[in-house]
Amino acid sequence: MEETPRAKYTEKEKVEVFNNEFLPHINSMYNFGHRLTLDEDDAKDLVQDTYLKAFRFIESFQKGTNAKAWLFRILKNSFINDYRKKSKEPSKVDYQEVESYYNSDDVHHQITTDLRVESLQDMIGDEISNALNSLDVDFRTVIILCDLEGFKYDEMAKILDIPIGTVRSRLHRARNLLKDKLSVYAEKMGYKNP
Amino acid sequence: MNRPNPFTGSSGKKSTCLEMLHAILDGDASEEQQEYFREHMDECMPCYKSHELDIQIKQLIKSKCCGTHVPLDLVEKIRRQMNSIT
Repeated sequence: MEETPRAKYTEKEKVEVFNNEFLPHINSMYNFGHRLTLDEDDAKDLVQDTYLKAFRFIESFQKGTNAKAWLFRILKNSFINDYRKKSKEPSKVDYQEVESYYNSDDVHHQITTDLRVESLQDMIGDEISNALNSLDVDFRTVIILCDLEGFKYDEMAKILDIPIGTVRSRLHRARNLLKDKLSVYAEKMGYKNP
Repeated sequence: MNRPNPFTGSSGKKSTCLEMLHAILDGDASEEQQEYFREHMDECMPCYKSHELDIQIKQLIKSKCCGTHVPLDLVEKIRRQMNSIT
């Protein structure tokens, strides 16, 4: 493990760091937890565990560094360690397939979709939200981090412990899957594919 | 387009349209790359169409899937537990 200089905080400073640097992200954290577990109580437990863990290890946190990315990383790891094990649901993503997809020369197939901008405008929140929630958790995660939370690729790589190239390829695949789901909704709403 | 492709990686491998689209969409492209892509869209209809759609989807996800508020009692519960640690 990387040696990190530890800050010495007084009890008062610890609470200040917690209030000023950690708590402002709690709504994002709860949204992330909820979208990972798809359950309100599990999300609450996950957020609580994450904040308590962050507080316990607060001396390894350097003021002014990216608290949000650190908190997201802790939450993601707690989710993998506690919740995935509990549900015994193995990751369904076949990374081999992702890589080969990404390296495929069939570029036009990759970016061509039946989905049209006009059909999106009529979609209500539930459809978008359901489409996102129906993606496999690894794909869902990269869309949440990138599109909802605005993390950069290098930050996502650190949060997820994967190389940037994998962040990119997973994001590409996730977005295409999401478009497929949205196309199905669009078709149900009566939009004919061109 | 005759200018060199600024998306080309150090390995010399040319970026695909998909890679360019996502770098632009996620703010991961330099100014030079953005300029190159604007010109590229004039010559590549799939990129032109996909770019607009990708932006819409990204905005839509952000507006429809954010804004959840944490249950109020949770913050209090965390604080109580914090006090028992210290």
